[in-house]
Amino acid sequence: MVKTEGSFAVEDMKNVQINIGAVIKEEDEWDQEMGPYPKPHVATLRDWDFKIVNRYRIFYAPADDTCTLCTFGPCDLTGNKRGACGIDQAGACGKIVLIAVLMGTCAHTAHGRHLYHWCLDKFGDMPFDMGSDILVKAPLTESIIGIRPKTLKDFGQVLSYCEEEITQLLASCHSGQEGHYIDFESKALHSGMIDSLGKEICDMLQTVAYDMPRGDPEAPLVEIGMGTMDQSKACLVAYGHNLAAGAEAMFYTENNDLWEKVEIGGVCCTAIDLTRIAEGLGNTDIPKMIGTKVKVVGAVGWWRKMVRAGIMDAVMVDEQCVWCDVVRDCQPRKIPVIATNDKIMYGLVDRTNDPVDEIVSDLVEFRVAGVVVLDPVKAGEVAVKTALQVKPKRADIKSKIVLTEEEFKTWVETCTRCRQCTYVCPPHIRISNIIEEASKGNLEPFSSTYEICVGCGRCEQACPQEIPILKLYEYANREYIANQKFKMRAGRGPVRDTEIRAVGMPIVMGTIPGVIALVGCSNYPNGTKECYDIAKEFVDRGYIVVATGCMAMDMSLYTDEDGKTIWEQYPGGFDGRNICNIGSCVSNAHIHGAAIKVATIFARRNHRANYDDIADYILSKVGACGVAWGAYSQKAASIATGFNRIGCPVVVQPSSVIYRRAFLGRTDVPEDWMVIDARDGSLVQIEPAPEHMLYVAETKEEAMLMMAKLCFRPSDNSIGRMIKLTHYCDISKKYFGKLPDDWPIFVRHASELPIADKEPMMKELEEKHGWKIDWKAKKIVEGPIRPVDVSFDPTNLPRKIRAKKKK
Amino acid sequence: MIEMAVDTTKNPIPFEMAQIPGPEMAKAYATKVIGSIIKKSKRPLLVVGAELFDDPVMFDKVIEMGKTGIPIAATAHSVKGFVDRDYLENVYQIGLHPLTNYLRFEDWKGLDGQGHYDTVIFLGIHYKFANGMFSALKNFNRNVRRVSIDRYFHVNANMTFGNLAFSPDDYHEAVDEVIAVLKK
Repeated sequence: MVKTEGSFAVEDMKNVQINIGAVIKEEDEWDQEMGPYPKPHVATLRDWDFKIVNRYRIFYAPADDTCTLCTFGPCDLTGNKRGACGIDQAGACGKIVLIAVLMGTCAHTAHGRHLYHWCLDKFGDMPFDMGSDILVKAPLTESIIGIRPKTLKDFGQVLSYCEEEITQLLASCHSGQEGHYIDFESKALHSGMIDSLGKEICDMLQTVAYDMPRGDPEAPLVEIGMGTMDQSKACLVAYGHNLAAGAEAMFYTENNDLWEKVEIGGVCCTAIDLTRIAEGLGNTDIPKMIGTKVKVVGAVGWWRKMVRAGIMDAVMVDEQCVWCDVVRDCQPRKIPVIATNDKIMYGLVDRTNDPVDEIVSDLVEFRVAGVVVLDPVKAGEVAVKTALQVKPKRADIKSKIVLTEEEFKTWVETCTRCRQCTYVCPPHIRISNIIEEASKGNLEPFSSTYEICVGCGRCEQACPQEIPILKLYEYANREYIANQKFKMRAGRGPVRDTEIRAVGMPIVMGTIPGVIALVGCSNYPNGTKECYDIAKEFVDRGYIVVATGCMAMDMSLYTDEDGKTIWEQYPGGFDGRNICNIGSCVSNAHIHGAAIKVATIFARRNHRANYDDIADYILSKVGACGVAWGAYSQKAASIATGFNRIGCPVVVQPSSVIYRRAFLGRTDVPEDWMVIDARDGSLVQIEPAPEHMLYVAETKEEAMLMMAKLCFRPSDNSIGRMIKLTHYCDISKKYFGKLPDDWPIFVRHASELPIADKEPMMKELEEKHGWKIDWKAKKIVEGPIRPVDVSFDPTNLPRKIRAKKKK
Repeated sequence: MIEMAVDTTKNPIPFEMAQIPGPEMAKAYATKVIGSIIKKSKRPLLVVGAELFDDPVMFDKVIEMGKTGIPIAATAHSVKGFVDRDYLENVYQIGLHPLTNYLRFEDWKGLDGQGHYDTVIFLGIHYKFANGMFSALKNFNRNVRRVSIDRYFHVNANMTFGNLAFSPDDYHEAVDEVIAVLKK
């Protein structure tokens, strides 16, 4: 669509003005007709949502039994009772789920709105150029809105759409509005989709404006780790998710030739995005490869550890996953804080309109703990100048940040073993036992649990002796911190169309066993190492492994026996036995985008305003599984729900039960597994593939087995099914010591059995499961749920039926 | 007569202190009472998780319980512990999440196809996950009795031990006492 807007007065007609809101004419260069659902509203895709939740039953684990949202409350909903307003426990859970998903959706969309204004202000409107290898440039925008943006300004109408939907969805949470859990979940799925769109807007805007890589499998390796910050320089950390102010600090440093004096590092997704700047097409004025000068200090889970390790002189915070007590943590350590985004202002004074040097002086002289500066350019200059000037003044305090040996010993001896710390520790570290060991001189438990500690500090609040437990950790791990220096591939951005052409068929046929997407935050049940273990397991097995955000950062902290990180061990393409760092949280949109591209580029499905058709294709044919092993914030809820709506299952860590809801299949109900054969409209019972849509795993071993299983799709051909089944069985044997109990339900033909175990498995099918085997021909004669049919075209949408079945 | 040495009614506070769900909260019971309730159950199911690997002797205790005829649902990758001990007689491998999902439906026929369960007994499971699954049953299928013989006070169970997380010897003894009742 091309849209013209404006207003004009009509000559000789007094007081008459004609406003033209939108004159729309069809583009001629897009060969796809407008699909059925451009800009779908809250109820438009409800039928699709119901198909999901009818197969994948909505499961709630209430985090509390009461509702306190209105003045009738608290209402006791225990046992699915109803509150005064009439809502039952399931409905109340659905409402909270929707609110959580909306929080995440708002965070990403508001990030997009901020970037939209900022990028247009700073750079002006720019052509939406994704390079010659990417023609399906904004897959979610195209699938949901039905437009192809030509310039950055075109994303304005996409943002407006998102904001309208968010408003409608949030309105439905008001008491007396939506009351049924199924519709809350349909709305949550809608919000999840909007979340994915909001993320796409963010990453497309910054990719073009800041010239980030356009799907470059050889994006540069950048430095990651607390030890990468050169302490001989003034160390400035940019913390959060929005690159605007951090980038300005980089530009100020570059323009004033200060890199010899200033070290800039990032924490959380701001880090990833800063290290992507100017590594793309080279078509902007930004100094080429400036992103590689910035260090990724670490993911959000390391923040409080960084502060206590004394590795920064000043910090600028922007938005999203930023701890609420940054000022409280930084003030006693004399680390000035510059808040750069109106979403986080910490009660600090807004100094946006004050002269730079006055602000810097107040910070450097410690007259204020922090300031708000909402102009990114000014914030960047303030931050760099502050870091430079405060560094010498901090020399004294810096030397005192990490405990001395004597202080450490004194504190560990103060512990009375009351264990209040353990009762509040999210990963349940037996902290008092560790302190007891330290009092005997054994610091190993402090080291081995360092990566498991999420750095929340609840233990310190609970301790009656006021022991600074996180400081004890820093002391015990000071050498590790200094040497935490690794390499991470910079976020490469979208998957290229050319890559999809190469892997589309192997993914749909199953010969590439699956796409594993490792996304999300840093609240791992058993430490950051699990990120590396999970990624390595699947990339070694030939899956396509993609990563974003905290998981991409945290898996970088480990090496193989040759000292290589996972990014140095494997290539960075979207292909089997490759691993891609797609980018920050908002780059998750490109994982949706890759799945959409399989449907539209490989399978030639029209994706324009055709979201449910594409999601149906992905659910039936694209063997992909998301994993948020450190799921923490509400954005994790919206990200997972968005994946679910587009047909991708997600596995999450055990503490994710706090988000209450899952989508789980019942393999004992055959009617749940009926799909339409699009060739003739006949109904076919399929194996449960994928079996679940949102699944909580207790351990990484269970997660890995489930991930392999959730990559099965009804469209797998026999070779593909054999490969997938081989990995499923092999992971089970490796970590469970036996074959999984349910392997027979995925077998349709003898050729699908793992080659190494074919004969004993056929024997088991015959003896244990009563299947009929023709041993002479080595064929299965009777037993499978359905036979292999290479032309089978599974769908859940009646409108995809090509010809009615003959009666 | 079985002598009860361990007081499992002590420390009845949620293992995660802020885990206060609402007006209906668990009570901590003596081992004899819990053992008797399990023994009287018509269709009990022992549900165990991967924390058994942290305290491997617990596998042997679970197997002892299994040998009294109680079927075992081995969640996460805990089935490996049973494979290693060559005991798979009445052990079913299933994730805790799908298991709880099945448990909330009255029409489910059980892991052995012989019918639903009237009592589930949790142990060796990640605390927060187990708490959530107890909550699901508490709110959506109250026909299943929720019993914990884990080392944590489980606020969403019907019956639980008090916190024994820091007293491994007492905990082992408490489980032994339950086993003794089952064998009686």
